[in-house]
Amino acid sequence: MSSELRSIAIVAYRDIARFWRYKYWLAGQVAMNLADILIFGLIFNGVVNKDLIPDYVRFVTPGILCLSIFISSFSIGREVGVELRREVTQYLLTLPVRRESLIIGRLLGGAARGLIYQFGFLVFASIILAPPSPEGWVYVLATSFILALTMSSVSISLSTVTRDFNMQATIRSLTYYLLFFVSNIFYPQRVIAARLGPLAPIVDYSPLTMATNIYRWAFKYDVLLNPWSNLIGLLVWSLIIVVVAYKLYIRNLLRD
Amino acid sequence: MLSLHEFKAVLRVVEWDLMKLKRQKAFIAMRTAWFIIQTLVFGYAISKITRPDIGVDYYKFYLLGLYTALLYSASIARAYIIADEFDDGIIDYHLSLPLKRSVLAAGRVIGGAVSTIIFTIPMMVFILYLVGGLEPISLLTSIASAFAFSTGVVSFVVIIVMKLKSTDTTDILFGTIDAILVRLSSVFYPLPVIQALNLPAYYYLALLNPLTHFADFLRALVLPEYFLLQLTPAQSILYILGLGIGLLVVAIELFERKLEAGGVK
Repeated sequence: MSSELRSIAIVAYRDIARFWRYKYWLAGQVAMNLADILIFGLIFNGVVNKDLIPDYVRFVTPGILCLSIFISSFSIGREVGVELRREVTQYLLTLPVRRESLIIGRLLGGAARGLIYQFGFLVFASIILAPPSPEGWVYVLATSFILALTMSSVSISLSTVTRDFNMQATIRSLTYYLLFFVSNIFYPQRVIAARLGPLAPIVDYSPLTMATNIYRWAFKYDVLLNPWSNLIGLLVWSLIIVVVAYKLYIRNLLRD
Repeated sequence: MLSLHEFKAVLRVVEWDLMKLKRQKAFIAMRTAWFIIQTLVFGYAISKITRPDIGVDYYKFYLLGLYTALLYSASIARAYIIADEFDDGIIDYHLSLPLKRSVLAAGRVIGGAVSTIIFTIPMMVFILYLVGGLEPISLLTSIASAFAFSTGVVSFVVIIVMKLKSTDTTDILFGTIDAILVRLSSVFYPLPVIQALNLPAYYYLALLNPLTHFADFLRALVLPEYFLLQLTPAQSILYILGLGIGLLVVAIELFERKLEAGGVK
């Protein structure tokens, strides 16, 4: 058991250490996320109907926290895709590590990257909105960890579906659009729900809507939201996605 | 000036790129799904939260910006294809063919641009229909301007990928460039709104950005009520043409004088 944990820790550490290899990419992503909050938010403040959303920067900031997790967690998927193309995967399979440990280590490594990357944005959100209470921080950290684990699972499993570089990039973008545009990150829930008609519950039960709701509650943008029910919902989503991603990754690892 | 033999060779290279498009069914299906989500979900929802008095129907404004972003992304996607070819040794094979390098470069750029146009034409037609600008003249003008724009972007992509020769760096760099250029443009918000922010650097970068010029040219073409322009449509299209031709020349030059086979990272 302890050797298994050690293996998981080594695999996870390898992925965390590799995270810093992409300094320019990280800097670019941080700049873009900040631009999303400041520029997109500021410009849209001048475009958005104040009766619906009085301050768009404050409205969109909790969603950007989800976006930062998505971007950083998906970076590991890109690397898994490159490993698959370069057949580094074959080398990984020959290591004296159980496949389960390898996969769990990678998922945790991806989740850790998400948390590291998001840290600065949490500070930023505390300044723009309001610092969470101790209970609020517990919810924020739990949400961030669950979301990071879910996103890294999705990105790793999707990256093993195809070796085609272009397809990998397209799958990544399509996943982003599906997750982010069918949620309450950029607009109020009722607006998007009205568009989807009978499919409106999709927005309510979207994992990103739930995560955003928790952030909006914790950073005191909307204290009337129920963080507990959203966290339970997010946890259910996470369990399903992580299990499916795990199965898909192990199947694709052994496919060739 | 191209001889008839060289012209035929260019066409053969273009044809090779078009054949590749036929094999990309899954890619086309995914990009179409992405387009549908952006048009019918995100575009609709975001236009519902905008002020009614900004001087333009934001949904129409957004749709024409969206086509610009789509055309740009589809052109940028050539980077992934060419980086893949480097990885698979196809570029090395191309360089060994009995073709002049300038012919090969021109063929790849034009082939990439034509593939992109063919792929995005149904989306363009759908968007022009939604904004009420689906007329023969505006459609043909849109296609011609889209081809000029795409030629410039594909040339830019060829220049960068030939320098990088790395799938990994290509992915990171173009992911970043893609996002930055779309943000620093009038694709999703009018230039006067950007100007009102009082951030001169941001405003001038948006003004220099070819995406701004192509998006605003399309808006001026099909939205008669659109007046939030900083340059005339003629100035915008000349800028796009100049950039397209200039970058194509640089790409051909690079192919002819600088490119060496191998050395994939």
